Amino acid sequence: MNDWRTLLLVGRRDFVERLKSRAFQISTALTIVLVLAAVVLPQLFDNGPNEWEVGVVGIDPSQLEITMQALQASNDAVAVNVRTAVSRDDVIVLLEDGEIDVAVVRGEGVIAGDGTSRALSTLAAAAVTAVELTSRAEQLGLSPEQVAGLLGIEQPPIRSIGGDEEPDDRGAETLALFATILLFVSIVTYGQWILIGVIEEKSNRVVEVVVGTVSPRTLLTGKVFGIGLLGLIQLVVIAIVAFAALRVTGAGDLPDTTGAVVLASAFWFLGGFAFYATAYAAAGALVSRQEEAQNAAFPLTLVLMAAYFVATFSISGDNPVIRVASLLPPFAPMTMPLQIALGRASTTEILISSALMVLGVYFLLRVAARIYRGGILRSGGKIRINEAWRSAEGR
Amino acid sequence: MLQVRELTKAYGEIIALRGVSMNVHKGQLLGFLGPNGAGKTTTMRSVFGLVEPDSGEVLWNGDPIAAKDRLGFGYMPEERGLYPRMRNLEQVAYFGMLHGMSRQAAYLEAGRWLAEFGLADRAEGRLEELSHGNQQRLQLAAALVHSPELLVLDEPFAGLDPVGVGAMGEILAAQAAAGTAVVFSSHQLDLVEDLCDDVVIINEGAVALAGAVRELRTGAAHRHVTVEVRDGDPGWVQAVPQAAVLRRDGDRVLLDVSNGIQLDALLAAAQAAGEVVEFSYEPPSLNEVFLDAVGGS
Repeated sequence: MNDWRTLLLVGRRDFVERLKSRAFQISTALTIVLVLAAVVLPQLFDNGPNEWEVGVVGIDPSQLEITMQALQASNDAVAVNVRTAVSRDDVIVLLEDGEIDVAVVRGEGVIAGDGTSRALSTLAAAAVTAVELTSRAEQLGLSPEQVAGLLGIEQPPIRSIGGDEEPDDRGAETLALFATILLFVSIVTYGQWILIGVIEEKSNRVVEVVVGTVSPRTLLTGKVFGIGLLGLIQLVVIAIVAFAALRVTGAGDLPDTTGAVVLASAFWFLGGFAFYATAYAAAGALVSRQEEAQNAAFPLTLVLMAAYFVATFSISGDNPVIRVASLLPPFAPMTMPLQIALGRASTTEILISSALMVLGVYFLLRVAARIYRGGILRSGGKIRINEAWRSAEGR
Repeated sequence: MLQVRELTKAYGEIIALRGVSMNVHKGQLLGFLGPNGAGKTTTMRSVFGLVEPDSGEVLWNGDPIAAKDRLGFGYMPEERGLYPRMRNLEQVAYFGMLHGMSRQAAYLEAGRWLAEFGLADRAEGRLEELSHGNQQRLQLAAALVHSPELLVLDEPFAGLDPVGVGAMGEILAAQAAAGTAVVFSSHQLDLVEDLCDDVVIINEGAVALAGAVRELRTGAAHRHVTVEVRDGDPGWVQAVPQAAVLRRDGDRVLLDVSNGIQLDALLAAAQAAGEVVEFSYEPPSLNEVFLDAVGGS
């Protein structure tokens, strides 16, 4: 029988058993709920009022109201309700009491309260200017059509040298952060599955029966393959749910780089998962009991955390640390997708990083498979790496 | 045929095997016996490549064992191991498929073995929900599902009650009768001496005795005689010079005598003392033969 058939059998078992487990189903459902909540809840609570209250003194409220409506971009327009106050003092009181969101006083300008958004005060100021412009234009004898033509000048779009619209840094950052968190959480989670699976097989001795027929390398590869595939599917489902939710709620426009980021994330997930999964498997093979699992995996988790923190600290600005980290296999799975999402990685860097990742996975597969082979059949206490390495000799 | 030749293995300072050899033929039920720590498990694991011997070799049909040969082997390790949360039918079928069976054949045979062991109604249950005895049966089913040519069982009788021991013995005998080479280990010599025709007994990593149980017992230099003399003078035994008293229980004595003793003289001495209600003559048990061989007491 060829190794492939065995590999698929082993992978299929790990895939199916994990899929059927209550823990997996609950964690998947919970993650989807959390992702949905993260997208939908800010819409319900955070995204500002659906009506702005404006208080004016000495200005025609209806005209200001119409102008403020008209000046807003149509797709996310907020209704504006303008009311007149008797005096400046009155309008200040209203603002302080939160009855109104912003005040406009003739001869003084726009007065913002503590909670007034920058967007609203800017809008109010622009509207005042437009109203003033209209009245002066009329005084100059322009016809209403001419005035309308004058006000109808659209602000020219701002484009980057790439030819696209102004890069939406906020969107790109959000996407980069989302990708990094998802990669970190999934690699840690699926790595733990491998770790627990390996220790379980070892501690209940089923590995003796399996390895009597299946080579340790095939068992390891099949396990990584099966759990990796399940993880990837779970990740894709979560990503689809997240993007669909973003689309439906219109919570944010996806940056144009989204496709590239998703592809890069998938590649580095596979690379990162293969890299860490084999390392977790080797760590698991060195201990005999579930209680020792976290100790065994601690150095790996530490490296993963380091990569994660380098990535998240580098979202706000490029720096040499993340440049180097994004090239090196242990860190690249979390740092490179971020660099790509933020448009900081050059093609050369991406190619170098990808090549090193593939090489790293190949190298680690060999090393970890040997430690796994040496450790998996030895029981009783913790085994040192070099012991496992030596005892795998010739097998 | 399985041939184990001159295996040696040391774990650091501890020498597990000092040149162990044995053969298991097709259709043979071989008991691989010896006290705890004698090297039985190490020898058996070497058949499956789970232990790499320092020297010596393990051959199957004359050639070193290859991975494809092991597809035709069945193994039940000493420390039982299956997946605790897998469904029983699925689990047995999985091991069938790992040994090269088609999916369909594996499920068919797995179902057959579950029925054989009275576990048909537990097919959809999980291992962790089974009793200890039933877990043992499932483990055996997983070792048998692919109709192995060689069956290796490490301490299959451990933890079984007498009924379980009998049933397990019947299954192993049936496997051997069907042409499978069967070897099982045990440290309880008295439990298995009636089960198998042939034994290999090892002690401290070396073969102490090997051969047919019957010949090993009858080949011993001494015999046991049990005599009960009702209301006789207990001192009658002292008059028989070649007999040593092993045990005395009221009127009943167990004597150790040399192989060539004049039985009629012994019987006559007993009859002279009183009414003889029991008189039996038999070779020593396997355990005693073994203890003689290793110089224990």
